[in-house]
Amino acid sequence: MTVDFLFDSLVSLFPSWENTDPFLVISMLIPLVATFGFITVYALVVIYAELKVSSFIQDKVGPMGQGVGLHAGKWGLLQPIADALKLLSKEDIIPSSANKLLFILAPFMIFVGAFISFIALPFNGSIIVSDLNIGIFYILGVGSLAVIALILAGWSSNNKWSLYGGMRSAAQIISYEIPAGLSLIVVIMLAGSLNMQEIIIYQQGGISNWIIFDNPFMPIAFVVYFISALAETNRTPFDLPESESELVAGFVTEYSGMRYAFFFLSEYANMFVVSVVAVTGFLGGWQSPFSGSLDSPLMGVFWMLSKTAFLIFIMIWIRWTVPRLRVDQLMHLCWKVFLPIGLFNIFAVAIWTVLFG
Amino acid sequence: MIKYFTDIWTSITTILGGMGITFIHLIRARQDNVTLQYPEERWPRPERNIGFDHDNYNVIRTRLHVDMDDCIGCLKCERACPVDCIKIVTEKAPERGSDIKEIKHVGVTTNGTRKAMVVTRFDIDMSECCYCNLCTYPCPEECIFMTGGPNSSRHPLDYEFSEPDRDNLIYKFAKSGTKEGLDKYIGEKSAES
Repeated sequence: MTVDFLFDSLVSLFPSWENTDPFLVISMLIPLVATFGFITVYALVVIYAELKVSSFIQDKVGPMGQGVGLHAGKWGLLQPIADALKLLSKEDIIPSSANKLLFILAPFMIFVGAFISFIALPFNGSIIVSDLNIGIFYILGVGSLAVIALILAGWSSNNKWSLYGGMRSAAQIISYEIPAGLSLIVVIMLAGSLNMQEIIIYQQGGISNWIIFDNPFMPIAFVVYFISALAETNRTPFDLPESESELVAGFVTEYSGMRYAFFFLSEYANMFVVSVVAVTGFLGGWQSPFSGSLDSPLMGVFWMLSKTAFLIFIMIWIRWTVPRLRVDQLMHLCWKVFLPIGLFNIFAVAIWTVLFG
Repeated sequence: MIKYFTDIWTSITTILGGMGITFIHLIRARQDNVTLQYPEERWPRPERNIGFDHDNYNVIRTRLHVDMDDCIGCLKCERACPVDCIKIVTEKAPERGSDIKEIKHVGVTTNGTRKAMVVTRFDIDMSECCYCNLCTYPCPEECIFMTGGPNSSRHPLDYEFSEPDRDNLIYKFAKSGTKEGLDKYIGEKSAES
């Protein structure tokens, strides 16, 4: 939608140009650069939030300082920038026995997997890079690209810890996609569409029309989706692939500098993607919680980002509260708890919709 | 089957309970925080009670301090120093025992000694000092001393004397501009006469 809009406005701005191919390239590059800039800025903010929230939960003060220089700025506000500069300026080490091609390829692949999900994320009624008619299905699909990259990273490092991490992440992500998908199927059943914008428009009219309050089974579906999403983003309590107390750093053990930064960035980008999907599917997307007020296009962006930020805060909160699961507990939770609940939800919501819908 | 559901219920309630505790810590972060941001904040110094009178406590070797108004420039401490970390340069005073206001020179010490010398340089390199305390014994005016202990009434005890720059560890006790001021003063005197 944004690409078409930019292309049309460029063509109307310069009607004398015969050849419109450069316009197409430019109108594709602008959303690309904007999305990349958004991910970078958002990652800096969330890294700072994570440092501060974790410190406050542990009764510490987090990064603090009085000014630029030896300290990290007022309240440590420059800490994420200092971290980014440190990562950029670090030595890039490739182990001598690593498979060099795959080792170099893996961080880019994982970032691509996180990055291309962004083109289907709606920020308000018109700001969406591409309004795919299978938006939610597309996001679930490209989310699985991370598995290949994680296995590549684990395998090519030629390191026991990395290999264990890659294998664990493959098992974990493939397993948890099933309950996440089952929870979203319930949403799709209610909204009757795979298009992100149509799912949001279905929830029009205030907080009571949000899908999470549609019927008594939806909060369960939301919790199942949210926990599965946590597992898919490899965050604590599901950080088995990079569990630092057992596997040093899992699949990122051998990575340093810029390549490590890509893994880091894609983890935070994935957090954003799953939060936006949860907000779209259950919490009304860019709709205002108050029916008929505060729903201008700009407020739409505000509602979308604030709901997403709330979910990301809950993710950080959970990370610093709950200890890591064991591998067998992880599989037990997925296959023996979430899968039956997800299947039960589908039947229950179908019957509910037929009886009361 | 019942155990399956009670297990789910137990895990939900315990996780929510834990998250409640962490949230209370999150919002009470300002009151509960245990971090002391050292250079900006310091713990209050505790009441010092070492079990006996400070005067009986021989000496606390913290760092050297010189009372420049009492120094007569006899160079005894410089000679006593086993590591040669004290550097003193003296000039002959124009009039023995008289004040020179231009360079804040005090003519008579607290012991009543009339000074014959003006100390233009008195540097102690504290990074070289071996804390042997040998310089304080020969001093006839008792103007060089280790701070703290029995001397705590003469100079506040300061235990934080780390410096980011090594040059700052050279303590310059002579008043700045003493040499130039003295030369100028003598020049003016000779011009008058």
